[in-house]
Amino acid sequence: MKELFKLSYSKIKEGLGKGDFSSVDLVNSYYDRIDETQSKIKAFLETNREKATNQAKVSDERRKSGKTVSEFDGIPIAIKDNICVSGEITSCSSKILENFRSPYDATVISRLKDKGFIFLPRTNMDEFAMGSSTENSAFQTTTNPFDTTRIPGGSSGGSAAAVSAGMVPIALGSDTGGSIRQPASLCGIWGLKPTYGRISRYGLVAYASSLDQIGPFSNDIQGVVDLFSVLNGRDERDQTTVIGKQFSSANVKQKSWKGVKVGVMSTKNASDWSPSVLKKYEDMKKNLEKEGAILKELDFSVFSYSIPIYYLIATAECSSNLSRFDGIRYGLRVEGSSGKLEDLYVESRSKGFGDEVKRRILLGTFSLSSGYYDAYYGKAQKARVMIRKQYDSFFKEVDVILQPTSPTTAFKIGEKTKDPIQMYLADVLTTSVNLAGVPAISCPAGVDENGLPIGMQLTTSHFEEESLLSFASSLAQLPDTTITLPSQIQ
Amino acid sequence: MDEKQLRAIAGLSKLNINDNEIEGMLGDFSRIVKYVDEIKNLDTSSVGDDEIYGQTMQVLRKDIAENALRREDLAKIAPSYENGYVVVPQVIET
Repeated sequence: MKELFKLSYSKIKEGLGKGDFSSVDLVNSYYDRIDETQSKIKAFLETNREKATNQAKVSDERRKSGKTVSEFDGIPIAIKDNICVSGEITSCSSKILENFRSPYDATVISRLKDKGFIFLPRTNMDEFAMGSSTENSAFQTTTNPFDTTRIPGGSSGGSAAAVSAGMVPIALGSDTGGSIRQPASLCGIWGLKPTYGRISRYGLVAYASSLDQIGPFSNDIQGVVDLFSVLNGRDERDQTTVIGKQFSSANVKQKSWKGVKVGVMSTKNASDWSPSVLKKYEDMKKNLEKEGAILKELDFSVFSYSIPIYYLIATAECSSNLSRFDGIRYGLRVEGSSGKLEDLYVESRSKGFGDEVKRRILLGTFSLSSGYYDAYYGKAQKARVMIRKQYDSFFKEVDVILQPTSPTTAFKIGEKTKDPIQMYLADVLTTSVNLAGVPAISCPAGVDENGLPIGMQLTTSHFEEESLLSFASSLAQLPDTTITLPSQIQ
Repeated sequence: MDEKQLRAIAGLSKLNINDNEIEGMLGDFSRIVKYVDEIKNLDTSSVGDDEIYGQTMQVLRKDIAENALRREDLAKIAPSYENGYVVVPQVIET
């Protein structure tokens, strides 16, 4: 019973269903693992063993009396610290919200509660989801379970590291420009950014509302499929959720690659990629061709603008969304020396926000300000339409696009903190997906010469999650894609 | 971008930049603005002004009253709460 934390999500679900072990057994195993690894990995901001154990006891009682609420009843899940859970702290890893307790559940949390999942609070993140390494957390830097001198990726680095280290089998993150896929890739696990509007953002603390999506992490593909099936769907509390194409997990099936049209990118201009990532990508292309896939090289030239477009749009939205943190309504309050209201706003925000959040608020305010709006924000909005149209035209030619998720494997802690632009470039292959609103998943794809995980990103057209997840599970059958997680090594 | 401009933007953002932070912030900010300036090289003339709005239809929910926050729950989490009210600093200057 002691080493249940080593099991894949599917084995956990199966074992619980068969009665091989209880939810309390599971929670105990994960908490023992957390006790053993948290001081090195620092994935969690808070670990409330008692609360989770009590939830597990209630779940076990339900199971004993034949009143199990779903096939997921009793499965533990970790939640990123920007998703509201009633009565719990939701700090967004920011000093400004350090003691903020949410008065309500996010829609995703209500949906998970209805199915009997057990909550392990709260995973670390870059402050307000702004970052690619989890080094921007106001409280701690999460490390990569494969090498604790390296970053886990970000902004959902705590959730990704927790799953990778075997502290929990599945977790929720949020993805605005790559914040689920990039850490999933660097930590060797699965991470899905759904179609914009698929999963309710009600109760997700907003960073850039037109780009943010909540999505799942898992140590196997089935966890992603199951969580997506529980979470997706129209929510009256989020008017941007849509009644799109229905999703049925029964339609997610491993398929043959024979005749599948796969869009790929040329690596002629990929000089800043790691050689190991480049080689893996070329190998994957060859393996797909061997399996009968038809590769088509697509023209990604407009995508070279996706980072500037992303930073202009995301920061404009963040400067507006974060204006609510004023020292009056939420969190930290610092009285100015003059006693004037203006000083209270300025002092509270200046003390409460970290450097990267300030940089992004400043850039957003700048691009929206008089005299600059048309040249920056207005231009970026039009460029965003071009990205979306480019994807639309791609999906007339191909069924799915294959790219690496990240141009490099996990970099060293501190390596990119001095240069914000180098850090922004970590998302060079992921941001266009958010700008277009299409779904994409990062899949484990083997390791580099140092044993660090490489991830491959698959992208399909809007609302095509059934085929996206089918392709993802087929990709896992290709040679040299398996990654043994640190939790599974021992 | 100079110090005066950056301080003006900080003022609009309700942020204070200390004298010891200003040099670093100005350097970072200037480089970021220079970087996003790349977007000016992209020809966006094929996109009409009307195309940037309304990609999705937003459906509003029905306006039906329902139970929301209970006072006692709010009292537990509010930083300052007295006699049924959340206490905040004075926000109207006289």
